[in-house]
Amino acid sequence: MYPPAWLLVVVALTFGIIARICVIIAFPKDGASRRRDQKGTCHLAVFLGSGGHSSEALTLVSTLDFSRYTPRTYLLSEGDSLSATKAVALERLKAASKQSLDPIGEYQILTIPRARRVHQNLLTIPVTALRSLLASFYYVTLAPRLLGDSSKADVNVILLNGPGTCFVLCVAAYINRFLGLPSPRLVYVETFARVRTLSLTGKLLRPIADKFIVQWPNLLQDGGRGECHGWLV
Amino acid sequence: MRVLVTVGSTRFDALVETALSQPVLSVLSQKGYSDVVVQCGNSRVDELGSTDVERSVHKYGVDVILWRFKPSLDEEYDAADLIIGHAGSGTILDVLRRGKPLIIVPNPTLLDNHQEDMAHAMGVLGYAKISTVNGLSQSIMDLDISKLVPFPPFDGSKFRSLMDQEMGFES
Repeated sequence: MYPPAWLLVVVALTFGIIARICVIIAFPKDGASRRRDQKGTCHLAVFLGSGGHSSEALTLVSTLDFSRYTPRTYLLSEGDSLSATKAVALERLKAASKQSLDPIGEYQILTIPRARRVHQNLLTIPVTALRSLLASFYYVTLAPRLLGDSSKADVNVILLNGPGTCFVLCVAAYINRFLGLPSPRLVYVETFARVRTLSLTGKLLRPIADKFIVQWPNLLQDGGRGECHGWLV
Repeated sequence: MRVLVTVGSTRFDALVETALSQPVLSVLSQKGYSDVVVQCGNSRVDELGSTDVERSVHKYGVDVILWRFKPSLDEEYDAADLIIGHAGSGTILDVLRRGKPLIIVPNPTLLDNHQEDMAHAMGVLGYAKISTVNGLSQSIMDLDISKLVPFPPFDGSKFRSLMDQEMGFES
C-alpha cells in the first residue's frame, strides 16, 4: 500500500520548509555593505517594549549618528503613549543638538498589537500572537513592497531588547529570509536588569538574532552564543 | 537635607509603611534630613486616600510629603540628597548616574527575583547600599556616603561602534 499522494506532498513540503529554515540559520548571509540603502544610510527600527525596556532601547538609540541611521521607525505596543512621548522627546533632542550638516531625516511611530498581555489566559495567546505577527509581517514584509514611500522602505536593522512581541518581529524577519527578500539584521541587547539569568525573550532570541548582546558577563558563562561589552546604557 | 523614597510604577506597601515609621523617620532626622518625599506609586497607604493627590504631614521631627506619580522623577532625583528605592533598574540607573547616594530595598514579594540579582550586584560592586525592609533604619544609620563607589559615567561610544560595525559604517 502506497501512502496517498497528498501525504507525500505534505511531507515533502514540510521537509523542504524545515531544510530551508535550517539553511537560513546555519548559513547567514553576510556582507555588511549590503545592509544599507543605495544612499548608504540605514533604516533603523527599534522596538519599544514599554517601561524600563523602552528607556533602555532609547538610550541605545541616542548613541547613534542619526544622519547614518535614517529613517527611524519606532515600533511600540498599542496604548503605550508614554514610550511614544519619550521617542518624540529623543527625536527633538537630536534635532536640536545636531552638529553636522547631514540631514537626520525622518522618523515614524507605528504600533503593533501585543503578542501577550500581562496575566493573559494561555489559551488565547495564539490569537493575540497571530494578530501581532500579522502586523509585524505587514511592516517588515508587505509595506516595503506595496508602498512607494521611502519611510516604508525595507528596514535594514531592528534593535530589540524585550519583552515578548520582539519574538514576533523576528519571525517576520525570518519570513523575508525564507522568501529570499531583503531582511533586517536582528540586534538583541539583553536588558541591564538581567545580571544572572537571561530573560525568557533573551532565551528565545539567542539562537535567531544576528547579534546577541548581554550587559553582564555571567550570562555567557554557559558558553552559549552571545557577546558582552560591559554596560551599554 | 532631603530624602526621596520611591517605588516607581510598582506597589510596595511594606517599603512605604516602613519609610513612614518612627524608627526610620527618627534616624533620618538624627542624620540631618529634614524633608522626606515619598513617591507611593500603586502602594496602599493609610495616610494617602484614593482621591488625595498629595499630602503633607509632620512626623517624628521631619516634614513628609506623600504623592503617587509624576510624569518624570528627574527633578525629584536632582533635588534629593539621598534616595531610597525599590530595585527597579530604571531607578537604579537614573539615581546612580546622577551621583546620588542610593539605598536599594528589593521587594521580597515579587516572584521573579532578577531584580534582587541586580540589587545584589550593585551592592557587591559598592555602588549602592542594599537593605531589607526591616533593616532600613539600621541601614540608614550605618550609611557612610563617602564609602560608596562612584558609578561609571554613561559611555555611548561602545554601542555606537558595535552598531556601526554591524551595519558596515566606517568608525
